[in-house]
Amino acid sequence: MGLSNVDRRRVLAAAALGRDTGPPGPDPGDGDPLRAVAGEVLDVSPHLITIETPGGAEERLVIAPWATAWHGADVAPADLPAGAMVLMRALRDGRVVERIWADTTRITGTILSVQGRKDLTVELDCGPHRGHRTVVVPYRSSGRLQVRHPKFEPGYLFDAIGVRRDGASHALLPATSQPPYPARSVPPPPPAYAGLQSRVAGTATWSDTFDEEERGAAYPMLERADTGCAEAGVSCAGLPYLSVGSLLQVRNVCANRSANVPVVACGCLAGRFCDRCVECDTSPRGRIAELSPSSYVELGGDLVKGCFNAQIGLG
Amino acid sequence: MTLVLESQLPLLIVMLALGTVAKVITVGSGGEPGSLSRLGPAVLMPGRLQAPALLVCAAGELVLATGLSLTTHPLFRWGTVAFFALSTYVLTELRRRRPDAGCGCFGEVSSAPVGLRSVGRTVALTGMAALSVWSPAPGWEAVLAPSWLTAAGLALLVALSPEVEELIDRVRYRAPCEQRRGPAESVTLARLRSSGTWRAHAGELASTEPYDSWRELCWRFFAFRNHDADDVVFAVYLSGRRPAVRMAVVSAADSGSLPEYTPVSA
Repeated sequence: MGLSNVDRRRVLAAAALGRDTGPPGPDPGDGDPLRAVAGEVLDVSPHLITIETPGGAEERLVIAPWATAWHGADVAPADLPAGAMVLMRALRDGRVVERIWADTTRITGTILSVQGRKDLTVELDCGPHRGHRTVVVPYRSSGRLQVRHPKFEPGYLFDAIGVRRDGASHALLPATSQPPYPARSVPPPPPAYAGLQSRVAGTATWSDTFDEEERGAAYPMLERADTGCAEAGVSCAGLPYLSVGSLLQVRNVCANRSANVPVVACGCLAGRFCDRCVECDTSPRGRIAELSPSSYVELGGDLVKGCFNAQIGLG
Repeated sequence: MTLVLESQLPLLIVMLALGTVAKVITVGSGGEPGSLSRLGPAVLMPGRLQAPALLVCAAGELVLATGLSLTTHPLFRWGTVAFFALSTYVLTELRRRRPDAGCGCFGEVSSAPVGLRSVGRTVALTGMAALSVWSPAPGWEAVLAPSWLTAAGLALLVALSPEVEELIDRVRYRAPCEQRRGPAESVTLARLRSSGTWRAHAGELASTEPYDSWRELCWRFFAFRNHDADDVVFAVYLSGRRPAVRMAVVSAADSGSLPEYTPVSA
């Protein structure tokens, strides 16, 4: 399904129902907009970072004095190695960088097998669209991960944040408290009552299975026949059905920012997580959207924290 | 006296048949992973055996219901007594070991935790089955000649069934349309084709098969092309047999909307 086709759906639906199509992108009323800039580090000094963007262009950005970086641990921006893939949160039309995440990856899936004695090798099923993935859990972070993943065995969910190093993904931090049920036993949503709820609250997470610089979200509640995804349409958050191409208004309750994000993929794995986000308050249960890293950062989220409390409405 | 003995047979047959149908429907539609994990004695089984266990139970009930209605053979009579007596034991055991699980007697409708009423119902059914053992007539004759005792038994069973309240609640508090699984695409397309809006505009379309279809909230959209290569989009409301249908023509070059026709309800 081409992107033009998906955009077209929005126009056609708006025409048929006489709605306005909201433009995708951040809400202009949120103050200074954040911009996510992705690229590969060519050179870095304490005040300036030079990157090569996915388009092949070279960009030089100013590093703010208060800027911090994460590369498996908090580091000074000037210590980032050349060649690292970075995603940066930038102010002032994307010229001034205040937060850098280098080689950051997120590993979300259902555990298929766990091997190894010290360094664990975990094979994950990342859903029908994303295939299988193997991650390494280094010995020094395995304790920290297992505290939040008490059921470290096949059939249970796994969600961690780590770094890509030498072509392998290393899981370092737990991204959530593991749901206590097997991945195939998602609890039912709370009973819903007639009448349209205009907004649904829950947790919004990110995933690195999107294209670089793609703005979009994976949404769990899609009709199975439309997406060809036999595992869609499961969520414990009481979400309404939408389609690929719908515009979702996502609001970051913690940072008080909102944006219109198109649904670009099936979030069947996100729907299996019935967890909460405790980023700024305790959110209701259920992942309501899995954002692309760029959208997530532009909404004010921190990749290392893994989620923010969110509300969604139809844009 | 014979009237007393055979008066409860119709109820037993209906209960067994309902149990069969509800269990088969639950297994068939309950492709939802894990939904069986909270249902009935099947929770005492390992995960992959849960659906077969429900089906075996349903098959047993079907055999008993058929036997009771067609013959007077003691095998089916005593089999029914044994079935309900065993159910009583299983339900008390389930109540003790898995207080969160529903009885699953009527599939997913019986997902409320097993209470004294469910257990009381199997006790009552065991009594009814025992009463019917010596009935001289097969079930179908008893069905044709119901008595006041049958009605009394029915009232007792209704009073002991938590499922009745569950069904009433489901009708009263139905999930809003946008959270319910919609009818199949072909059903909605058939509804669109029987609408007045479709008849008025079908002639303009280059092909009567939509090139794209998607669902958003409570609407399903069908996109067609007309002879000028413009997009013609129909929106069909998902609930109701003769749903509201709206349509618009959007020129291929235009990214904005060009609503030509105001809403038309079929």
